[in-house]
Amino acid sequence: MNAENHEGQNASLANDGSSKGLSTSCCCGSVLKSALVIVALSSFLALTTNALRSSGSIDLSRNYFRTLQAPVNPVQEQDSNGSNSEINSAGNTGENISDQDTTSGQEEAQPDDGIQRLTFEDVHDHFMTAEEMVGMGESIVAFVDARVRDQYEEGHIPGALWLYHYESGDLIDALRPQLEMAFFIIVYCNGGDCEDSLYLAADLGSLYGLPPENIYVYEGGLNEWKEREMPVVTGSEAR
Amino acid sequence: MDALKRLDATGIPLLLARIVVGFVFLSYGIEKVSDPLTFLKSIKNYDLLPLEPTWFINSIAVILPFTEIVCGLALLSGIGLRAGGAITSLMLMAFTPAVYLLGSSLVGTTAEFDSLCNVVADCGCGSGAIPICNKLMENCGMLILSLWATFSMSGKFRGGLST
Repeated sequence: MNAENHEGQNASLANDGSSKGLSTSCCCGSVLKSALVIVALSSFLALTTNALRSSGSIDLSRNYFRTLQAPVNPVQEQDSNGSNSEINSAGNTGENISDQDTTSGQEEAQPDDGIQRLTFEDVHDHFMTAEEMVGMGESIVAFVDARVRDQYEEGHIPGALWLYHYESGDLIDALRPQLEMAFFIIVYCNGGDCEDSLYLAADLGSLYGLPPENIYVYEGGLNEWKEREMPVVTGSEAR
Repeated sequence: MDALKRLDATGIPLLLARIVVGFVFLSYGIEKVSDPLTFLKSIKNYDLLPLEPTWFINSIAVILPFTEIVCGLALLSGIGLRAGGAITSLMLMAFTPAVYLLGSSLVGTTAEFDSLCNVVADCGCGSGAIPICNKLMENCGMLILSLWATFSMSGKFRGGLST
């Protein structure tokens, strides 16, 4: 830090009241050099630490906030056999044409971002269906909790899988079989201002290759779920 | 001006600036480094930075906390004192209007947030959820201290390798 020694000398010179112009120009140069050193050192430490983190690191190339920039749902159209065919998975401006009865009554009120949203009543119906099928060993409904681990353990919808949005890249492989089996993947977070469920829903469809038409977001989230006095499970296990 | 120069010559404002700004930046930086993903969300919530290209906002979330830590250490140790003060000043000049905009955007969103000074929010600064007015005043005070550390001509309490 020779530059800093110059700074001290400059300060002394300036206190003497002599060579003021010289000290100012010299000082600015040394300050700039020191600032560059600080920025370079910070960047090196930051990138190294980020690369070495076992969890909680930021993937510099990943878009964590995908929702509005790249709508998740492909435009669907029914072919002559009545089954869905995907005609466009990119460049969709948000038009979401779905043949799922569960959302038919809500589409008018949904924001034009390509995310399918469910109300509490819909989620409640799916939850009851899922609970009935637990005993049969089938799971056509999968609840996905997009919140951080601590929040999940403090309380989640019974049967919900933990898939923290910001670490979903590390978690998705273990959950993929269950998600691929489900016809209704219902993603939630806390509700209110929480947008992580929207981002995760977008990633599930576009980044992780799950069928976008199967993915829904419960915007009311766990806060509404608890307000409606629905059951909540604590701990790390889904049930 | 003479009074300010005499005050500066005592070195006490410089010492105060080094300790206060240095400690605050160090502690806020450590808080952010401990949970960079939360900090990334906080940055995004300001809606001021572009989300594309993605590496831009992600890099800021990774690098900024370490810059705060290094600047905090520079101020506390006196090594790179002026540069540390200059960088913290620049950061505060950027953060303070951003916090003001964040607070303003929340006015009226709930019954409690009927004015700016009644808005309580987590600005992502590392201090948790606090009243926005308090945060703005804190930032203004810190900015004055940072600028003092940057431009102080005092030879006393400079720290660094030369003392």
